[in-house]
Amino acid sequence: MNKKYAMAYIIDRCIDCKACMVSCKAEWNVPEDFFRTHIDQGLKKELHGKFRMDFLPSQCNHCDKAPCVTVCPTKASHNREDGIVYVDRSRCVGCKYCIPSCPYDARFYNHDLGVAEKCTFCLPRIADGLEPACATTCPGNVRVFGDINDPASEISMVLGAAKENKQKVWKLREDLGTLPNIYYIQK
Amino acid sequence: MVHQEAFEWYIAVYLFLAGVGAGSMVVAAVADMYDREKYLSFIKAASLIGMPLVSIGIFFLYIDLGQGMWKPWLLIFLFANPASAITWGTAILTIFTILSFIYGAYNLGYLKIGCSRCLNWLLIITGICTAGYTAVLLGSLKAIPFWHQTALPILFIISATSTGISGAMIVKLIFLKSDANIKPIETAHLYLIVLEIIMLIGMMLIALQGVPEMKYAAESLLFGDYAFLFWFLLVFTGLLVPAIAFGMEEAHKLHMKTKTVVTLEIMVLLGGYLMRYLIIHAGVYTKKFAEYIVR
Repeated sequence: MNKKYAMAYIIDRCIDCKACMVSCKAEWNVPEDFFRTHIDQGLKKELHGKFRMDFLPSQCNHCDKAPCVTVCPTKASHNREDGIVYVDRSRCVGCKYCIPSCPYDARFYNHDLGVAEKCTFCLPRIADGLEPACATTCPGNVRVFGDINDPASEISMVLGAAKENKQKVWKLREDLGTLPNIYYIQK
Repeated sequence: MVHQEAFEWYIAVYLFLAGVGAGSMVVAAVADMYDREKYLSFIKAASLIGMPLVSIGIFFLYIDLGQGMWKPWLLIFLFANPASAITWGTAILTIFTILSFIYGAYNLGYLKIGCSRCLNWLLIITGICTAGYTAVLLGSLKAIPFWHQTALPILFIISATSTGISGAMIVKLIFLKSDANIKPIETAHLYLIVLEIIMLIGMMLIALQGVPEMKYAAESLLFGDYAFLFWFLLVFTGLLVPAIAFGMEEAHKLHMKTKTVVTLEIMVLLGGYLMRYLIIHAGVYTKKFAEYIVR
């Protein structure tokens, strides 16, 4: 069976330290002012006037039906067989159309190279058998990366355990029909 | 809420120029089919701006490109994905530019063609596609709810036709110095501007009742950062003043000098550009989560 890479975030563990953002930037020389992964904060009012802050990491969702792949005129953005949505830099003309097409705002324009850029699940690293830089760096072990087609992989175990323990598992904006591959787990 | 930042004023200029060029050619082709002799000055004026403006628009698209600008051989890949609106647009623009060049050369007497009626029809169809496609380009992105609506292509086609008439009128009055009577086109222009006002009001009222992202986008135009540009330059200068002036002329209550007409047409063009600029800048991404953080 083909590999299908995905990532799960156990978001109760996220403390918004931004180590993932920094490691990604350092690993891939991401241009100034841009990040391939983000952590967003949400402030919620609870009972008795107390507030609660939620942290939600996000990155490219490597959607099975990615809008960026549909709208890319040159087919530079494409779905690889292992589930990764990849931008072929030698084909991208830099028309920027994919950037507003992404409902997760995961892409940005690299002014130096003149191409669209985003998370690649650290493709060269995983080819060497390493984990993506963000998953390796995360001190809280929020990010679990792996092949969800392999029942013995860590991510399959984590997702299975979450299901068994009736934890909340969801993906972002599934209503848009993009079939994303980043799982969010919350107790 | 996050505003999109990928598309900037270059794209607005392209949307505008493609609209003016396509609109003027469509109106010229329609007028040609009614009465070529009567509207000849308008048709010639439109021929002078149609293809050149669309080409300048394409030039703006080109300089907005990243890697494609300094590696132009990559542009052949623009035809690679039939699912992409940019692929459709590249095809439409290529066909329309060639057709409008032939039609322009024919009208200006450099070329003789057999079936001018066929050319008229082809120009009307590809011209409407050129003007409408610019909105389909934005509208096919469901990540931006304010763009993702059917009203947009209709608004863009109306605005393209209206600004196209304005562009050709300016050339006719200033460069061709023609005062030929083309009343029906002026009447049509008035109705198009009125329709555009109605469309904008409808779009804003609906957007204010829409999903939060759409409401936010509409509010940024109506009351937010873009309120001055929207109300003063687009609504007042670009639409209301020309509509009232043209309407009073239509009712024979006002007789305008050439200078005044040219000024009004420039105001319509300015409004047309701002409409594109504002819609581009009001693009707000659909929310990634917020309410999707479950407790």
